[in-house]
Amino acid sequence: MKFLIFSDIEDSAKQVMSFLKGKGDFVLYTTEKGESLTKYGAQKIVLLTGKPEVKGISSLLSDEFSSGGYDLVMIASTVLGRDVASLFSGQKSIEVIPEIFDIKFNSGTVTTKRYGLGGKAVIEEESKSKLFTFLSGLSDDVPGDGSSPIETKNIPEGVVKILAIEQKKAKEVNLEKANIIVAVGRGLGKIEGIQQIEPLVKAVRGELAGSRPVCLDYHWLSEDRQVGYSGRTVKPKAYVALGISGQIQHIAGMRGSKVVVAVNKDKNAPIFQEADYGIVGDLYQIVPKIVSYL
Amino acid sequence: MPYDIVVLIKQIPDLELIKVNQSTEEPITDGVPFKFENLSKNSVEAAVRIKEKNGGKITAVLFGNEKGTQVMKEAYAMGVDEGILITGYSENNPVLTAKVLAQKIKQLHYDLVILGNQSADSMSGMVAGLVATELNLPLLSNAVSIEVADKIVKVSTATEKDVIKSETTMPAVISVTQETNEPRFPPVLQIIKAGKKSISTEQSTVKIENTSKIISKKAPKSERKRLIFEDVDKGAQEVAKVLKEAMK
Ligand SMILES: Cc1cc2nc3c(=O)[nH]c(=O)nc-3n(C[C@H](O)[C@H](O)[C@H](O)COP(=O)(O)OP(=O)(O)OC[C@H]3O[C@@H](n4cnc5c(N)ncnc54)[C@H](O)[C@@H]3O)c2cc1C
Repeated sequence: MKFLIFSDIEDSAKQVMSFLKGKGDFVLYTTEKGESLTKYGAQKIVLLTGKPEVKGISSLLSDEFSSGGYDLVMIASTVLGRDVASLFSGQKSIEVIPEIFDIKFNSGTVTTKRYGLGGKAVIEEESKSKLFTFLSGLSDDVPGDGSSPIETKNIPEGVVKILAIEQKKAKEVNLEKANIIVAVGRGLGKIEGIQQIEPLVKAVRGELAGSRPVCLDYHWLSEDRQVGYSGRTVKPKAYVALGISGQIQHIAGMRGSKVVVAVNKDKNAPIFQEADYGIVGDLYQIVPKIVSYL
Repeated sequence: MPYDIVVLIKQIPDLELIKVNQSTEEPITDGVPFKFENLSKNSVEAAVRIKEKNGGKITAVLFGNEKGTQVMKEAYAMGVDEGILITGYSENNPVLTAKVLAQKIKQLHYDLVILGNQSADSMSGMVAGLVATELNLPLLSNAVSIEVADKIVKVSTATEKDVIKSETTMPAVISVTQETNEPRFPPVLQIIKAGKKSISTEQSTVKIENTSKIISKKAPKSERKRLIFEDVDKGAQEVAKVLKEAMK
């Protein structure tokens, strides 16, 4: 079996290559330069240069798919990846199974798992589909010692004109490696609140994380600290959720945590259904108390 | 310059009200009320803001079931001029949804098609690109901001790493994110007016072959202890113990 992979982010590229090792041959198409990508056993790495226009990328991939003898296509579920996959699906008239977090290859079919009903259901299905988008966290990152050759290809220009690309701030944290994560939600109320959480983070030698509104809407924390369906998938030994209501999209990113602690002033908050230990009350009173007992 | 806009909206079951059948472990959707999907609201809001500045007509198209009239009335209250409800939605299938929507859009006049990037229930993120392909239109996706002038539309897209500014000439398909805007709550008078407006309803006729077979659809397992403390002091002591253990 031969896989065509596309990922515009390094982590997902590494995870999917680690996952596919031993299951077939694969070629990675990526916009990421990382030299470290060559250690995962890809037959080759095709570095896509030029402006990351999604139609251009999908046209390039669909040409490669037709000429390269590929069986299956795995595309990282990122902002660009989902568009590339949907355009690819439309162009080639192949059905896509989106947002999978597990896949097994049978003879002639695949069995995949994804969330439905916003995370309230896990849909396990069997199909003959050839195209998938996969969530971050598909597998651990296990580098090998190979050295894949790198080739470059230019992304063709399309009808959408890219005017400017501003780099966001570099990633400052690797939440996947954290032992303890202290996550804050909208219940924090204000950016200054972070200072009052930091003593707890320090005391447990943990990492600070947040819900989507905290990272994306209010920018109280950097975006790479967002946990959840559209953020990072984490599995720490302990996950402390402070002022997070526990919407399913958030839970999807921290479900694998060993122990979950929740602090919320609303005793009916859904997060308490997903917690091992919960404290009902104001996080600003409770956090210093926890610190005092550590 | 006025712009005619087609907004694609969705009704979804109220996810918070879904309970799990303890014996089959399956989520129960029967009887769960429908609501206006979150990003569909952002889409309507985006269209209304363009109309407020430039004029034009907003047509909303909803592929759902008979209960969709309630959602359409909310869309009217937010500022949609005309609503088309297509019934026959049975299950999440982005390819089918895109075909149904595109078939309808082709009969309408529009400069822009606006929809959410990833709906809160199925989260496939596929419909925008598939609709753009069906209509053979450029796709500007995951917009966090939208500007229009002289039949040109510009958006900013926030990817995981960059903010990309791009533009294209109308007509075009635009998908929006929850950061695009904050949907406004419509004034009471508009809500009353919306209740009386008619909605044209038709049955979907598009059929496609579904190649995937669902093996199981169960609630994810949660085996948490759920020890909830209302005594803050006791809770803090217990939590400190747990955290110390995790630090080892
Ligand atoms: C496609 C899609 C993808 C998404 N992806 C993600 C994702 O990756 N990650 C994510 O987090 N969300 C995601 N969301 C958004 C998600 O649906 C919720 O909107 C979000 O998780 C809510 O964040 P929150 O819990 O911080 O805020 P809220 O839901 O507003 O909850 C705030 C909580 O704080 C409590 N509170 C308030 N004050 C205090 C106090 N002083 N002390 C203690 N408690 C207090 C309140 O009782 C409340 O429960 C996604 C949504 C969609 C549609």
